[in-house]
Amino acid sequence: MTASRWNTLYAALAALMAAILALLLWAVPTDADGVREWTGQLIPGFWMAWSFPVALFFFIIACLLIIFTLLAIRWPETPRVGILRIETTRGDRLFISLLGSAFICLGWLFFFGAPLTGALILCLIYVAAVFRWV
Amino acid sequence: MDKTQNNKAWFLVLPVLVLVAISAVLPLMTVVNYAFNDTFGNNEFFWAGLEWFEEMVTSDRLHEALGRQILFSAIILAIEVPLGILIALNMPKSGFWASLVLILISLPLLIPFNVVGTIWQIFGRVDIGLLGHTLAAIGIDYNYTNDAIDAWITVIVMDVWHWTSLVALLAYAGLQSIPQAYYQAAKIDQATRWSVFRYIELPKMKGVLLIAILLRFMDSFMIYTEPFVVTGGGPGNSTTFLSIDLAKMATGQFDLGPAAAFSLMYFCVILLISWVFYTVMTNLDREENR
Repeated sequence: MTASRWNTLYAALAALMAAILALLLWAVPTDADGVREWTGQLIPGFWMAWSFPVALFFFIIACLLIIFTLLAIRWPETPRVGILRIETTRGDRLFISLLGSAFICLGWLFFFGAPLTGALILCLIYVAAVFRWV
Repeated sequence: MDKTQNNKAWFLVLPVLVLVAISAVLPLMTVVNYAFNDTFGNNEFFWAGLEWFEEMVTSDRLHEALGRQILFSAIILAIEVPLGILIALNMPKSGFWASLVLILISLPLLIPFNVVGTIWQIFGRVDIGLLGHTLAAIGIDYNYTNDAIDAWITVIVMDVWHWTSLVALLAYAGLQSIPQAYYQAAKIDQATRWSVFRYIELPKMKGVLLIAILLRFMDSFMIYTEPFVVTGGGPGNSTTFLSIDLAKMATGQFDLGPAAAFSLMYFCVILLISWVFYTVMTNLDREENR
């Protein structure tokens, strides 16, 4: 594909994801005073129980998957062997990062409890380490 | 020869993707949603945030079930792997007997889980079961319905009966792939039986044994049907493993939020083990091809 067609593809995907995000934001319910309820139900009475934070989580995962797929197609890479002594590609490292972050958050909940701010900072450090050395 | 790259074949995978999306991805997303909400039924949900995760991660009930689960997996691995290797070493290598033994040994693997559970549930009963009645007749006080140790022994023996064959078959396949020349060389060096096993057979079986261990670990870690049919998780909670506890919480008590948080944590553990499984296997293949 030529560079301009790649750019068209990027623009189309970015527009699609932006539209989805806008749709999610639009669906956030408001209470009687017109204040937005960020944790309210996006579709009241729906069995899947969508709420904005969870939807945003899946939205970010979807964006990551799209970005990494595009990267893998446009700039294919040779896997490298890092400190785990296994061959990893960018996708593998993303998976290790996400799964590891889940365990970091659970560990944080076990030791320190609710606000996960500290855990998220720890996750970012962990993710950077995984992408640098694994 | 140059092959034409044609990515259109990917479209043929689309139906499967759609099916998986409906049968796996959507339910999983729903579970994530439930884990962050509270409900009293009627599809009305109230945001609970991290409450369920906090509750579950510090819950004694979950810790105990996890402890039992790890103990169970450790015990069955410690029995099934050596036993499977021992059986494989003693199986005939070729001819009529080899085929017969292979068929006999694979029979337990073909029986559905709930049937295995029912077989052992009846087998162990003191009033009508062959095992339970015989043990009672020779004066052994055995009753898996009210003694925790007996229940554990029954569940473990059942799992060993059901799955040792898998380890044995895999180990047998590993043994069969060792060229005769290795044994001849060992004979010339006057190697003992133990050194033949330690320096020829065990290293050659490493790959298949690793697969066997990981498969057995995964399966035993997710075990539900067999102990549920035999003991129902009892007596008390003594054989309530993770998935039995999860099912009790979700469908028995209808605590969807905690159960969803619990299953997500369980899912992360299973995902981690599957990833290790996959990575080890692909790396072994690569080493062998080198």
